[in-house]
Amino acid sequence: MVYYLIVCRSLTYAQRTAAVLERAGISAHILRSPAAISSTGCSHSVKIAQRRLAQALMVLKKVELSPRQIYITEADGSYREVRL
Amino acid sequence: MIYLDAAATTLQKPVEVASAMAQAVRQYASPGRGGYPPSAAAAELAFCCRTELAEFLGAAGPEQIIFTSSATHGLNIAIRTLVGPGDQAVISGYEHNAVTRTLASIPGVETRVAATQLFSREADIEAFRSQIDHKTKAVICTHVSNVFGYILPIGEIAALCREREVPLIVDASQSAGVLPIETETWQAAYVALPGHKGLYGPQGTGVLVCGKESRPVPLLTGGTGSESRLQQMPDYLPDGQEAGTHNMPGIAGLYAGLRFVRRVGTERILRHERQLMKQLIPALKRVPGAEVFVPECGSCHAGVLSFRLGGKDCETVSGCLGRQGIALRAGLHCAPLAHQLAGTLETGTIRASVSAFNRESDIRTLTWMLNNL
Repeated sequence: MVYYLIVCRSLTYAQRTAAVLERAGISAHILRSPAAISSTGCSHSVKIAQRRLAQALMVLKKVELSPRQIYITEADGSYREVRL
Repeated sequence: MIYLDAAATTLQKPVEVASAMAQAVRQYASPGRGGYPPSAAAAELAFCCRTELAEFLGAAGPEQIIFTSSATHGLNIAIRTLVGPGDQAVISGYEHNAVTRTLASIPGVETRVAATQLFSREADIEAFRSQIDHKTKAVICTHVSNVFGYILPIGEIAALCREREVPLIVDASQSAGVLPIETETWQAAYVALPGHKGLYGPQGTGVLVCGKESRPVPLLTGGTGSESRLQQMPDYLPDGQEAGTHNMPGIAGLYAGLRFVRRVGTERILRHERQLMKQLIPALKRVPGAEVFVPECGSCHAGVLSFRLGGKDCETVSGCLGRQGIALRAGLHCAPLAHQLAGTLETGTIRASVSAFNRESDIRTLTWMLNNL
C-alpha cells in the first residue's frame, strides 16, 4: 500500500501533527522513521494515506506545523522524498 | 499527623496519583525510544501531560513544556541561559536560594534586589522600576513568597519587563495550582514550577515552561531519542532540554495531580486555602506573644504564613509540635532575603502552609496546641 510519511523534528511535534490531523478526520499514525529516511539518526514520522496528503498539508499549514520532510513509499518498499 | 507544610511539598495527594505511578512502573517504557506498545503508551501519556500543562500554564504549545526534576532544576536552566559571567540580574526581595545561590555561582554576577518595604505591591513595582537598567540581563521574580504567602504583582512586573525589553523568569513554586499562570500573556521567558506542591504530583517532578521565543541552553546533555547521529543536542524543544530517560512514574503522577487540580479548580482551592488562613490568622494573633507575618490585604495572600512566638526558639516550638503530630516548618525556609526584609533573619520563623486537603479542624488543633505549649 502506498502511503506518505511526514517526518517531524521531534516526537512531540509528531504527536502534535498526528493530533491535529486526527481532529481533522485524517487517520494519522506515529512511528519511528525508517533508518533510510532518517539522515541525522532517530526521528519520528506520521504516516497518512496517499489520498489525504493535500488535505493534511492544508490542515498543518493552518496551525503553523511545518513538516521537516515528506516521503512516499515506492513499489519496491523504498522511500522517495516528495518535494513540495 | 496534621500536615501544615504544603509549601515544602504536599504530603496528602489525590489517591489517583499513587495508582497512576504504580501503573506507569508496570506498563510504561521509555517514550519515543521504541515502536512497541509500552514505549508508545509512555509517549502518549507524556504528550497528554504536556498538552494539559501547556493549557493550564498559558504556554504557546506542548513543546514549550520541559519536564524537570524540580523547580530548582528549571530555574537553573533559565538563569544559566540568560545570565552569564559578569552580567547583572534584578530579583525580588522574596527569592529562594534556588535563585540566589544559582546567581551567586555564576562568576562576577551583580544581583540587584528590588525590595524596599515588606508586603507593598506599589513599593515592589517601584523598586523593580528603579533597579532595571540597560545592563539587566534578566528579572527573576517569585509569584508567591514561600515564607509569607505574599503574592507579588507579577502582572505589573511582567509589563515593566516588556516595556524595558528584559526577559522575565517567574518562580511559580508556590502559585502553580492556586493562581493563574499566564506565561504567554506575561510574555515570560521562563516559568519554573515544582510538580509536587500545588499540582499534587510526586517529588522529583517539575516543569519549566519556555516562552515562545526562548532558546534555553541545556544543563544536561545526552540521548534524546532524536537526531542521534549528531553530537550536538537538538536545538528544538522539548528534546534539547530532556536528555536521558524520562521519569515516567513521576510524569504519570504529575498528570494525575494536574487533572485533580483542574477538576477541583484553582479558584476553589485558593478560596479554601484563604478560608483556612482567615481562620488561622486571628487565632494565631490571640496566642500570647505571637507575631504573625501576613500582608494586610487578603487578596495579596495565598495559603502560607509565618509567625514567631515571643522569645521562643522557632525550631524548638516546631520540634515540640512535630512530636505532638503537627507538621510545621521552622527556620529560614531557604529564603534568607525574605527574612532580611521582615527582620527575622536572626530568629527565623515558624511557617504554616495549607493545601486542598487541610480542614478547619487542623487549624483549631494547631491553635489549641500553641495556646497550651
